[in-house]
Amino acid sequence: MIILKLNLTMSGHHISSDKTLLSVAGSLFILTILTAVVHFMHLPEPWSIIVAMGIAILKGSLVAMFFMNLYWDKRFNLILMISSLAFFALLVGFTLLDTLFRPEITPGF
Amino acid sequence: MANHSTSTTKSKFLQHHFVDSDQQFDAAKMGMWIFLVTEVLFFGGLFAAYIVYRTWYPELFTMASEELNTIWGGVNTVVLIGSSLTVAMAIKSAQLNQKKNIAINLGITITLAAIFMVIKYFEWTHKFHLGIFPGKFYAFDGIDHPKANVFFSLYYLMTGLHGIHVLVGMGLMIWLLIRSLKGDFGSEYYSPIEMTGLYWHLVDIIWIFLFPLFYLID
Repeated sequence: MIILKLNLTMSGHHISSDKTLLSVAGSLFILTILTAVVHFMHLPEPWSIIVAMGIAILKGSLVAMFFMNLYWDKRFNLILMISSLAFFALLVGFTLLDTLFRPEITPGF
Repeated sequence: MANHSTSTTKSKFLQHHFVDSDQQFDAAKMGMWIFLVTEVLFFGGLFAAYIVYRTWYPELFTMASEELNTIWGGVNTVVLIGSSLTVAMAIKSAQLNQKKNIAINLGITITLAAIFMVIKYFEWTHKFHLGIFPGKFYAFDGIDHPKANVFFSLYYLMTGLHGIHVLVGMGLMIWLLIRSLKGDFGSEYYSPIEMTGLYWHLVDIIWIFLFPLFYLID
């Protein structure tokens, strides 16, 4: 029953208000400026990539949730999106298990 | 033929094998998301290559990134985010049956996509002029690293594949603009705008990651 009720409130036809769309776009612009400012501050070694990727993940999530409507959409589409990221993580993870632990890196290219 | 027809919404674009417009819309949307999954993995291979090479040669990425112009990369990020906004506005206009606003928003989106490609064109030709080509054609001696060409091979492959997606998106948007001017889209039928919008937002998300990975390396 609960699942049925949830499904009724979730629709593929959610209409976003101008206010929602403009505030999402505004946040994305501000985060873009922020990530560029942080770049020019030249943070010490591991932090610059951590902050840059953190902001990128936040921006990507905003686009996926509110521009691509995953926040209001059927949950199945969100599961599809997350599964693509899970398989990407597998690809990178297993590749790094090889490439990070080679005695000599050096392929010919 | 069993009579499934219980829906109140009848569109001339409703295919006979769907119960109603909502089922047709949801089926199209799920299909689109499955396609986007394959797109994530398509780009994923290149992102994986990037990660492998960056862990192998971290100093190369710091040095070579100096050749990329952070300001133009940032401007392009803003341009693409703006175009994502106008696509979302085009979908909202269709849902509210504001037919003229669909065409206006699609027109702005196409313009912004064209601005993105023009900036990309100047970035690339500037590098070609310096002799920065991918792979074995690399002929630039401004970066003191034996693997300097690897960074730019990744740069051209990833921004190039992304650029091809922008061009495809522009083609789709021109098709949508023509159809919207013919009055095909409104609150009862706007699936092609919704699906192109999903594709366009994914292209935007990929650029959101390419920007810090290439332009913002300290």
